[in-house]
Amino acid sequence: MAQVEEPGPEATDRELTMSRAMVEAIATEMREDEEVFVMGEDVADYGGIFDSTEGLLEEFGYDRIVDVPISETSFIGAGVGAAMQGMRPIVELMFADFFGVAMDQIYNNMAKNAYMSGGSVSVPMVLMTAVGGTYNDAAQHSQTLYGTFAHLPGMKVVVPSTAYDAKGLMHAAIRDDDPVVYMFHKRLMGLAWMPAPEGPKTGVPEDDYEIGFGEADVKREGDDVTVVTLGLHVHRALEAAADLADDGIETEVIDLRTLVPLDTETVLESVRKTGKLVVVDEDYHSYGVSGEIVARASEGALDDLEAVSRVTMPDTPIPYARPLENEVLPDADDVAAAIRSVGE
Amino acid sequence: MIDVDSAAVWPEDADDVDEGVVANWFVREGGQVDEDETICEIQVEKVSVDVPAPAAGTLTEVLVDENEEFRRGDPLARIEPSE
Amino acid sequence: MRTLDVCSTVAIMVGANTLQQMYEEMVTARHYEERLQEEYLEGKQPAFDISAGPIPGELHLAAGHEASAAGVCAHLRDDDTVTAPHRPHHVAISKGVDLERMTAEIFGRETGLSRGKGGHMHLYDPDVNFACSGIIAQGVPPAVGAALAAKKRNTDDVAVAFLGEGAIDQGAFLESLNLAGVHDLPVVFVVEDNDWAISMPKERVTDVDDGSQRADGFDVHRERVDVDDAVAIYEAAGEAVGRARDGNGPTVLEVQVHRRMGHFMGDPEAYRPDEDVELARERDSIERMEGHLEEHGFTGEDRAEIRERAHERVEEAIEWAKDQPQPDPEEAYEDVFTDELEDWPERRDRELAAADGGEE
Repeated sequence: MAQVEEPGPEATDRELTMSRAMVEAIATEMREDEEVFVMGEDVADYGGIFDSTEGLLEEFGYDRIVDVPISETSFIGAGVGAAMQGMRPIVELMFADFFGVAMDQIYNNMAKNAYMSGGSVSVPMVLMTAVGGTYNDAAQHSQTLYGTFAHLPGMKVVVPSTAYDAKGLMHAAIRDDDPVVYMFHKRLMGLAWMPAPEGPKTGVPEDDYEIGFGEADVKREGDDVTVVTLGLHVHRALEAAADLADDGIETEVIDLRTLVPLDTETVLESVRKTGKLVVVDEDYHSYGVSGEIVARASEGALDDLEAVSRVTMPDTPIPYARPLENEVLPDADDVAAAIRSVGE
Repeated sequence: MIDVDSAAVWPEDADDVDEGVVANWFVREGGQVDEDETICEIQVEKVSVDVPAPAAGTLTEVLVDENEEFRRGDPLARIEPSE
Repeated sequence: MRTLDVCSTVAIMVGANTLQQMYEEMVTARHYEERLQEEYLEGKQPAFDISAGPIPGELHLAAGHEASAAGVCAHLRDDDTVTAPHRPHHVAISKGVDLERMTAEIFGRETGLSRGKGGHMHLYDPDVNFACSGIIAQGVPPAVGAALAAKKRNTDDVAVAFLGEGAIDQGAFLESLNLAGVHDLPVVFVVEDNDWAISMPKERVTDVDDGSQRADGFDVHRERVDVDDAVAIYEAAGEAVGRARDGNGPTVLEVQVHRRMGHFMGDPEAYRPDEDVELARERDSIERMEGHLEEHGFTGEDRAEIRERAHERVEEAIEWAKDQPQPDPEEAYEDVFTDELEDWPERRDRELAAADGGEE
């Protein structure tokens, strides 16, 4: 993809929350292409439970902002079918946790149809879904499941951490000819009822722009330790890095931004420089993103690796009570402790 | 100098409430705004309300920061109108 | 007690004791939800922050649904299984779930039903065979499984799955109807129709007005109770539960209820016309129940006494729950398996924190 010079988040006085940046990209694409439409539970009048479609009904009406029955198998599968006809549906799965209801449509149709057809069909749809914990919603409404989606070949997987990235990634996702799973963290959306941390609200240029898939972003530069992370934990890692800088530890924070494709080169470059790798992931510990990053670093920069650590959700379902969720959910202190441990 | 009046956007069904909270600012201090551009989001009785700029100009001062409370009628910010 | 004859007035069919019990459950459930609402909003004013206050996370209250649970569960025993969805409190109360431990769970305390791991959408009380799933319609297949177990063991236990009218569009429900129908299982599917699937009115997302019609395609018995009235529901449920208990197969029973609060606490309900909110308030199953009680000779004083007892029970449960200890963070790592694995889960993070000189 030819890379146009991006205007950057500092090029404007206007700041947006992540949800508003996503909506702006969707609205722009819908104005330009009649074939783009949104389908999901509570996307019309409610504007999406997490504001991902807020205000779109007023401009585009019920024909293009479509409330659907609580039938994930049916409407996600219908998204696949409409995409195979050449339309560009944006289908919202209210919580990523609900993917299980429609797993076959996602895993066996959406992800595989292009390949199984020998490339004769494509599935240009966006599966947009809310992920993450931090607000005590317990085991069935708090997961990120990054690894579950990134594992199976055939889906591109996008995880924005800022409004600027969210808009550029949404434009790219809608224009992409393949299924893109767009996983937004609830805590980053800027919802009035779930205050976001410092960081995800950024300057967002009004003109459209794309953030190319497979381009990790170095959110902070440093020579001592590399932290690779995504989503909410970009901000927790930045918080830890700022604290550690006072003690003279310079941390480089890499925001993966897309899991499929994965920007291995940016990770390797950093690891070659620092020799020390910490991977921070809100997903479960085993068989997921953290293991994958460590494996790629080992394959590509084994001689440079001096120390490795993973900070993740442990292999337990996510508990409800505040002290229990706080225990399992990695926070900035957990990240700082891991950085110190590899930095020694 | 024009005040951004919180009472002007008070939701109808929150007539019995006099307190609100600023959820988000969308313009930095010193930033340029167009008339009617959404400059911040307030929350009153669980309802989110977008606050438009009353005039085009420069947002010179934010008077209520994010996550801070205000009372109905409190000015939220000041705008220096252009021209 | 179960009567299947058609009688001229409902008051004849339902005994005074049952009537009183149902009323007591309903006012308990109503007061419970009103009190939980207060507790939930504590610490969430004036800014509503879902993760703040003594009860964090989502909270789906069932005010306006009480008649359904009271009318159905009046026919159930502890051995009968009930599964409930994300809006479970009234069902739990009528099924006889331990109110104190349930409340402690909702407050996330160590002595809660799930030791603080489940929360309000995931209540389990095996003593009375009660369980939940927070995902739409996903509690239905396990109820079919309980019915399957009863049939295999040749007991006369039954299972009841509660679900919302929005859930009748889910495969998990429709497939369950077929499995239950094919095997003639002792299960009743209770569809609580409150007219709204979060913000989506029933007519926008469901093709039928009468959700019990789903049963027709599966050769399963069906009935819809068109009135939000515990006695009417009691009668219909008597036949459905009786049918299951006597080995005559499953029933879909849809009952009209009303949503008196938002979908969840914090739902501004901007999508809902004021008139609809008003109508839901007016059609109050508890007021209707008071009419039945009056017909049965219960004076206003009798009813006040029942209400007072119910309110006291709720207050005691909430007071007890708030007094309970918070769970020890270490407990987060327990209960993943029943046959616990050694050194599970991997705890490298702990070692790091320790190496760093202590816990966070």
